[in-house]
Amino acid sequence: MKQVYQALAFLAFIAFPTGKCLSQTPFTDVTAKAGIEHQFHVFEGTFGGGATVFDINNDGYEDLFITSGTRDDVLYLNNGDGTFKNIYESSGLNVTRDFVTQGAASADVNRDGLRDLFVTTINRTDSSQTIPRAKNLFFLNNGDLTFRDATEEYKLDQLNSFSTGASFGDVNADGFPDLYVGNYFLEFEGTLGVLKDATIVSAHQTAKGYLLINRGGEYFENQYEEYQLGHRGFGFGALFTDFDDDGDQDLLVNHDFGYKAVPNFLYENQYPRRSFRDVSEINEMDLKENAMGSAVGDYNNDGLLDYYVTNIKFNLLMENRGAGHPFTDRAKELGTYNFAISWGANFADFDHDTDLDLYVSNGDLNPNCTPMGNFYFENTDYTFIDKSRVMGVNNYGMGRGSVVFDMENDGDLDILVVNQVPVKEYPTESVTTLFRNDASDGNWIKIALKGLEAETNGIGSRVEVVVGDTHMTREIDGGGSSHLSQNSVIAHFGLGKATVADSVIVTWVGGKKQVLLQQKANQLLTITEVASSSWKWWYLAIPLLFMMLLGINHFRRKRHP
Amino acid sequence: MKKVYRYTTGFWIVLMALLIDFGCTQQAPYNFTEQEVALEWGQLTLYITQYTPANSPTFASRAFGYIGLTMYESIVHGYDSHLSMAGQLNGLESLPEPVPGQQYNWVLSLNAAQASILRNIYVQTSDENKLRIDSLENAVYLHFSDILNDEEIAGRSVAYGQAVAEAIFEWSKTDGGHRGYLRNFDKEAVHPDRPGSWKPPLYAQSFSHLPLHPHWGDNRTFLKQNSNLPYPEIFPYDTVPDSPYYKEFMKVYEKDMVLTQTEKEAAIWWGDDPDVTFTPPGHSYYFATLAIEKAKPPLIQCAEVYAKMGMATADAFINCWKWKYYFFSERPNTFIPKYIDEEWESFWPDPPFPAFPSGHAIQAAASATVLENVFGKPFQFMDRAHEGRERDDVRDTDFVVRSFGNFWEAAQETADSRFYGGIHTPLDNKVGLEEGVNIANNVISLNWVKEGRQ
Repeated sequence: MKQVYQALAFLAFIAFPTGKCLSQTPFTDVTAKAGIEHQFHVFEGTFGGGATVFDINNDGYEDLFITSGTRDDVLYLNNGDGTFKNIYESSGLNVTRDFVTQGAASADVNRDGLRDLFVTTINRTDSSQTIPRAKNLFFLNNGDLTFRDATEEYKLDQLNSFSTGASFGDVNADGFPDLYVGNYFLEFEGTLGVLKDATIVSAHQTAKGYLLINRGGEYFENQYEEYQLGHRGFGFGALFTDFDDDGDQDLLVNHDFGYKAVPNFLYENQYPRRSFRDVSEINEMDLKENAMGSAVGDYNNDGLLDYYVTNIKFNLLMENRGAGHPFTDRAKELGTYNFAISWGANFADFDHDTDLDLYVSNGDLNPNCTPMGNFYFENTDYTFIDKSRVMGVNNYGMGRGSVVFDMENDGDLDILVVNQVPVKEYPTESVTTLFRNDASDGNWIKIALKGLEAETNGIGSRVEVVVGDTHMTREIDGGGSSHLSQNSVIAHFGLGKATVADSVIVTWVGGKKQVLLQQKANQLLTITEVASSSWKWWYLAIPLLFMMLLGINHFRRKRHP
Repeated sequence: MKKVYRYTTGFWIVLMALLIDFGCTQQAPYNFTEQEVALEWGQLTLYITQYTPANSPTFASRAFGYIGLTMYESIVHGYDSHLSMAGQLNGLESLPEPVPGQQYNWVLSLNAAQASILRNIYVQTSDENKLRIDSLENAVYLHFSDILNDEEIAGRSVAYGQAVAEAIFEWSKTDGGHRGYLRNFDKEAVHPDRPGSWKPPLYAQSFSHLPLHPHWGDNRTFLKQNSNLPYPEIFPYDTVPDSPYYKEFMKVYEKDMVLTQTEKEAAIWWGDDPDVTFTPPGHSYYFATLAIEKAKPPLIQCAEVYAKMGMATADAFINCWKWKYYFFSERPNTFIPKYIDEEWESFWPDPPFPAFPSGHAIQAAASATVLENVFGKPFQFMDRAHEGRERDDVRDTDFVVRSFGNFWEAAQETADSRFYGGIHTPLDNKVGLEEGVNIANNVISLNWVKEGRQ
């Protein structure tokens, strides 16, 4: 039956390759109208293509950086009128053209109020290196629509890697965002020198990732082992997420070939201790899949963060069942179990009915070039139905990364999906596509965070909105809640018919909570962190010190009776 | 990991022994019998095969071919009973010959030759592995030169062994597979695209979406006789459920539904994934080692087994690859989800190359044919190749030691295991087994022994 359905779907798709113009759908493909003109070009294999959403000039309209692989990347400045302008050439980012880029993530690394940019690479474009590797690139935002290359200054220039996804997260809750970078093939430090055959044959082995700790906004230091991240794997990056809701940034690592090489990892942050604990197995998150990416979202509004892990063939919806219980894959029974090769995925309440829907970007593996439509799983009573056709978002390009953001600040979330150039003949268009959301009719609220001690945009913080009996949870994406991409840092909630959010709760990274009551719907609410006063610490520290002394004394007596 | 540790320990013991030896006495640290020297080299060859990154069944089979042949050629002139392969192989007109009337120590020649060919063929292995080669070469040399107690003969024997190895290595350079590990996946190659064509696996053993060594079939075979075998026959592509083509895949699908634990054990045992093991032709070279260990034949026969085994499996892979890329046929993982069951996935992941015929089957049949030829039909042995490996959690199956009453049983199980694993059809296996026998028989039919000496 499924096959018949698929065949029909395919026929329909052949017959109406540009079905989008034939009828009104809740989403509208506005790619051309918005001035988006982009395709990702692969280097040899099948990897790459991501976007990061960031407001580079703090004008309230979110801009886009999209990687292009072997071609020039793009930096789209949001004009605020539904159109974008590519200012890559004049932005200072144009040094990326010397590199084969993959993904990107952004945060305010030096706390100057401006979003800086990290771009992952797998090779240089200008040379025929025997072993494809390159440094990743880091740019500081000058605030005048230009960036400057700070790769060397931030001590990143000696890390030669085949990197995929990057995510910002404040591991040590010091307000300076740190980075996790996924590496696919063995990484090298420094230059490779004369290449022996032995070096060449080792090049395709599994890699360690990087945990780049931000040193006071001045430079990065790789502290991978120091933080007890020992694994190697075919890495597709990771997601910083507080899965156990204890106020710190845990880490969910995606690995390709998990069933054969190294599975996925879930690490619990031991903050304030500077280490991670591997809790993959007890949580049954040591997934042995081809994990391409993962999206975080509390799909059933139970306050526990769930994860949709994209894969080859069938994706997984890992439901969080709380402390002491392992995660369970509920993709099949909940209806998010359709055959495809999936990469990006985004949880968002597209229709403002207070539950999270799910967009999934699909694309074949070059040089295989069979079109497969993207999924739009609409959440109804916490089960899902694929409505990609009727919603007008079943894009058949070679999908990779995808992001959600509110392009024109009308309160609902739009979708951008990055598509690759198929290396072989392809029966339809495969270009990066922007879908404007015209579907929502409920109320909404958007929440932007302003961190004083936490990261400037509150990356990694948890935002909850309570409306009546409904309790919704979001996390601010530092990059990684998709594939090689970063969504908007503005938390978005659909409120249905409610005109007021009863309460808005922010948990800043580090665990500090802030609550606002009775907030009006249909507004962008900016919440500024309340700084903690330092004298409180002394009150705590003195008795603590006293108890410690007592404890030590007691311990010593025990040892020497 | 455990295995690495075990080997590393052994390595340090040998090294320590050598150091102590140099430091204190001048006595050789170990006693070797002649057969043990052959076995040690066989085992080190397997070790290097396993622990050299980016190895493949194709490249490994070729290496076994040259390493086995080198062992044989480095001593054959010491035995009146046997004949050199020079002049009998494809493009190998001559090899260095010993000076008539001069004395040689053949174990020292073999030792030097194995060290030399192994270093050259596996030039891409790690420095640590290269030290292992040095260590074994030194240990054997010390023992046998000590007994010989004649520096001139020892030096001459070593030089002769090295000359033979270098000549064979020179010859190897022109076969098309030299440094083949640098070209595992050809990005430029154009492949057929027709109904039933191979597609990159979605449940894959390798990160590559390109097929392995597409030009391996053009390589020079060791034997001319093995270069023009007729193309086997395959069932024509068909999606009609009654067609022989469809039925082949239906059999794979139905088998997978009723797979027993014993069959699962066979499926993982014979996987011989080149990323973590000594590869499928390594399994065959290992059988040669087992048989020699048990039967303890004279040194020349040990070398003969390795040479026949190496060349038969190498030629099996060349032919197999020629046919694989000619037919470029799909795997069950491509056909079954499309026409039988969308959710189906094979028990074992797909290797990165077309299906027909089975490489496992063809080389296993070649191996069994060689071993039966030398050791006779009934031969009780235990296959401990993967003993002690950590259980396969993904497939919930243990590595269980196999026991066989003859070599063909093992070959049959090798072929069947690919069917259980869901990555080969019965026809892939049947043709593989048949062709493996033909290829090995050509190797056996060379003039190995002088008339009337058998």
